[in-house]
Amino acid sequence: MKNKLFEKYFVFSPYFWLVLFFFIPLAIIFKISISVSEWGMPPYQDIFLFDNGFKINTTFENYVYIFSDYYYIGSFVNSLILALISTFFCLLIGFPLAFYIATSNIRLRNILLVLVVIPFWSSFLLRVYAWKIILQNNGILNVILLNLGIISEPLQLLYNQYAVIMGIVYTYLPLMILPLYGYLNKFDLNLIEASKDLGLNRIKTFFKVILPLSLPGIVAGSLLVFIPVVGEFIIPEMLGGSDRLYYGKILWEEFFVNRNWPGASALAFSGIIILVLPIVIFQILYSRWSQKNEI
Amino acid sequence: MDNNFLVIENISKSFGDNKVLENINLNISKSEFFGLLGSSGSGKTTLLRILGGFEKPDTGRVILDGTDITNLEPFDRPLNYMFQSYALFPHLNVFNNLAFGIKENFTQKEIEINVRNIAKLLSIEHLLNRRIKQLSGGEQQRVALGRCLIKKPKLLLLDEPLAALDKKLRSKTQLELTTLQKKLKITFVFVTHDQEEAMSLSDRMAIMKNGLILECSSPEEIYENPKSLYTANFIGIANIIEIYKKDENFYSDDLGINFKLNRELKNTKTNILLRPEKIKIQSTNYLKTSSFNSFSGEILEKSYLGSFTRYEIKIKNMIISVLDQNFNSSSNYNFPKGEKVICSWESESIKVLEG
Repeated sequence: MKNKLFEKYFVFSPYFWLVLFFFIPLAIIFKISISVSEWGMPPYQDIFLFDNGFKINTTFENYVYIFSDYYYIGSFVNSLILALISTFFCLLIGFPLAFYIATSNIRLRNILLVLVVIPFWSSFLLRVYAWKIILQNNGILNVILLNLGIISEPLQLLYNQYAVIMGIVYTYLPLMILPLYGYLNKFDLNLIEASKDLGLNRIKTFFKVILPLSLPGIVAGSLLVFIPVVGEFIIPEMLGGSDRLYYGKILWEEFFVNRNWPGASALAFSGIIILVLPIVIFQILYSRWSQKNEI
Repeated sequence: MDNNFLVIENISKSFGDNKVLENINLNISKSEFFGLLGSSGSGKTTLLRILGGFEKPDTGRVILDGTDITNLEPFDRPLNYMFQSYALFPHLNVFNNLAFGIKENFTQKEIEINVRNIAKLLSIEHLLNRRIKQLSGGEQQRVALGRCLIKKPKLLLLDEPLAALDKKLRSKTQLELTTLQKKLKITFVFVTHDQEEAMSLSDRMAIMKNGLILECSSPEEIYENPKSLYTANFIGIANIIEIYKKDENFYSDDLGINFKLNRELKNTKTNILLRPEKIKIQSTNYLKTSSFNSFSGEILEKSYLGSFTRYEIKIKNMIISVLDQNFNSSSNYNFPKGEKVICSWESESIKVLEG
């Protein structure tokens, strides 16, 4: 009996986690987002007032404010585009790598997997900073190119959206490779041979057999990259310039520079809803579809 | 019959230091059902994969119907390969698995007709909308076969076609496979480690060992007149006896008896094969041992197999297997364990092994 009880609670533990670290914070953010701003600490009024009898003190002005200014919406769109491009490149680089790892012999496979994971052992900040050293005007890359005579003056490689995309792809690549590897690892290589035997060349075999069968891995890896990249703050902050503003940066400024907590909360809450709701719907539909198709 | 339909010429293949195939030569006729029989590591699957185009040989050529296909990619070869695991596409239903190889070159209507026809041929019409996971092993085997046959290949390669099926289904499928092959007249080359399967399916078969073809002939020829010791032991039950020349006859130290052969021998010492069903077993009450080709021994083991009884008979240093057909239904026809019996055989039943 005791064991059963334990099992019951153990099964629910992810939900406790979700409630404790996702839903409760989300509720707090929502509460702040509908509060009225004021100068003070904290910089918003309580939503329940008791001075002259009970009064609910809420406002949707914060939402009106952020949705009426393209500055906020634009930054979110920029982040979505950044996430899409980064996910695409992660997939483009990650898929062949994951496929190669999954199909190589066991010894090489383990070495390659360790190589994929090793960057996680060093500080994320340090790794992004290292790119700064490589890409800056008197950085390693420019010095090499100058000395080889390929360029006559240093290239402006840093502080633009391309440096941001590169930094994100570099950082998030393992998150794409690992789930993809997980699916490709189970892949029966005879299926590829069977497809070729039945007359499909390499490209057609890829689109008719390999791609559909690794779709769950592609979906998992893409979501794992896409979602955090939308809110990514550090990489655009360190490698990006003023050419493009991203959602994470605006959020930070609204909170810490403008001290507009209700506005920032409205921005954060809207971001989560816009991002998570379609993904949840997609996941439900996708899992139904894949169950029906038994992939 | 054109016996140059499929020509395998001087094929060698190594994986690193490991020589898998050494100078393989084979000629296979059109519409032949050809078996490659060998234990694991004999190179039989590698040879089949070379024919399929999945491995490139180090040396040699493969010529199919007059065309050199050695350097063609699998998708350019006019042949198909049935995998041991069947390799059916789990993301497609039976219909689309069958249609997989013809989707490119046919219209939707033609595809429909072709799939229906092949499904009818293999009696899997009722399965067309099923998922692969919903099929039994036997049904999967048919779909895998259908997926190949729908392409009307010149040559069908089958890797252990029946290995994944349970025993009862296997003998049924064996029969279906031979009937189908004779009906379609497509050349079949298959690989197996099961000698019974090889014997019952093949028109001709090749015995492989360590990357070499030891013998290539009809099942009857290989069973009755094997050339090598390995083949004699590998196919069926074999009594192998070493004999040497002594005076007019040959003598076996292990049995302590004389052998009379109906042919002359080059060597003074050789191994002979005596198949267990060629030995006559009789009661000592009726018969005495003659001076050659017979002995008297004691029944050590006995197993009743229905149509046959298998005896293990001890004589001097050896145990000889004898299969005795159960003509009579009376139970006392069988010899009991421990009984002394007389065993004898004809001179022509003695097969001399060269290798």
